Amino acid sequence: MKRRLFVATSAAVVLTGCSNFTNGLNENATVRRVLSSAEGLNHALIGTHGMAKTYRDSDVDRQFRVNGFDTPSDSHYTSLVRAGFAGYKLVVDGAVDRPQVFTLAELHALSSYNEVTRHDCVEGWSAIGKWAGVPLGKLLALAQPAHGARYVIFHCFDRASDGTAYYESLDLVQAAHPQTVLALQLNDKPLDPDHGAPVRLRVPTQLGYKSAKWVYRLEIAAALPGKGGYWEDQGYEWYAGI
Amino acid sequence: MDATAGPAAIPASDATPLVYRHSVTTRVTHWLFAAAFVVLVMSGLQIFNASPNLDASDKSNPARRVLAIDGGTDSAGRPVGMVQFFGLHLTTTHLLGFTDDGQGGESARAFPGWITWPGYQDLASGRRWHLFFGWMMVLLGAAYFVAGIRRHDLEKIVLRPSDLPKLLPMQLYYLKLRKEPPEHGKYNPLQKVAYTTVLFVFTPLIVISGLALAPGMDAIASPLTAVLGGRQFARLWHFLAMIGLIGFVFVHMTLVLSTGVVNNIRSMFTGRYKLGPHEGTGQ
Repeated sequence: MKRRLFVATSAAVVLTGCSNFTNGLNENATVRRVLSSAEGLNHALIGTHGMAKTYRDSDVDRQFRVNGFDTPSDSHYTSLVRAGFAGYKLVVDGAVDRPQVFTLAELHALSSYNEVTRHDCVEGWSAIGKWAGVPLGKLLALAQPAHGARYVIFHCFDRASDGTAYYESLDLVQAAHPQTVLALQLNDKPLDPDHGAPVRLRVPTQLGYKSAKWVYRLEIAAALPGKGGYWEDQGYEWYAGI
Repeated sequence: MDATAGPAAIPASDATPLVYRHSVTTRVTHWLFAAAFVVLVMSGLQIFNASPNLDASDKSNPARRVLAIDGGTDSAGRPVGMVQFFGLHLTTTHLLGFTDDGQGGESARAFPGWITWPGYQDLASGRRWHLFFGWMMVLLGAAYFVAGIRRHDLEKIVLRPSDLPKLLPMQLYYLKLRKEPPEHGKYNPLQKVAYTTVLFVFTPLIVISGLALAPGMDAIASPLTAVLGGRQFARLWHFLAMIGLIGFVFVHMTLVLSTGVVNNIRSMFTGRYKLGPHEGTGQ
């Protein structure tokens, strides 16, 4: 019995030591910087120019998995939902020559994209949906990014439990990709609140956390605030092609 | 290049001279491979924990689930960990599913904290370690292959048709059912089977299946993902290739320990090795 206790205790000490070692290295700022160098290499080698595979209508998940933050429940968003998003406006501003404001009806009139693509979550799972909406490049062409502008920052209605507002960003190269769209429909129906109604981003060539939901403002900018997104600020890579 | 001749059949005694067996590149990459492999397995299990199931399909599909590791509490509030492997259900509380959280407690986690990197649940960090060491492995692998080809080392490790008749005698020798091993070169026929499988089956499979998981990669080289059966299937292949490599490491370490541990380990530090009976230096 004593021997058993000794073996169990030693095992526990060794195993705890293992976690202490990996946790400690993981929290070292220099180590983190070195490890992050892989992101630039991945961005340079994989890039943002490939076309995501498209699927048939029969491949879609009718119950498309809901992920990310909880659907906003503040009075502003819920009143928009109740009014069928009649009062919704998408603002495009920042470093642009012609700032724009679009109603939902105007966005529907610009809608020209309709494709079945796979959504790849950073956690590892995948789901397939049919997304329809406005290619982001189309809106940017109307707004005309100013000289020196490099990024689009997506401001969203949802907030983390500590109140931090969700945001995401893409560079103008990824923003001009023909499959980068502001989606208005999922599986031939208007987006429901859980899937990001009325407007969400879809970037099928990058991991799901880039595809921000509940978008209300596109800010064009020369530099990124923070690390370029809510999840990026939590340590995820800004380039999410891998 | 004299590939077949070698001081075969010299009896191994203390008087046997040491031969220079492993180049500097082989020795340095060997130990760095070992370290990087540990980091990659542990950070890979950290990543697996974020979505602890494997489907033989493109998109996630519970109907094609091969492996699922779940955890939680039962109706009485007691912790439960469960593994589903095809139709088989196992209770694995404290081992898998409900395990060490890497911070001194327990929680619903597929793989325990002591075997993930970092110990606590942190997908973003796991990815950072995994993607960095993945690149390190690629660079080490490139150095190993280039040096192996230039030094004519690689050709000695590859299994050839002429090795096939020697497989059974070699296995019988390892099982102590045969006194002498068959005549062989730098590596015996079973070593060649193992190394050839690692270098030309598991290694390409783990690289390709890892790349196939990336949506950006699928967009520029979709055949990679397609040939493996889709993204979730690629995740399954990646996991299986890991199991294969872990299996190799276990067999490798068992044989290092059981076939002259001092001689074996010395050769991987100094490069010098004492040849055994019927052992040569060629192909």
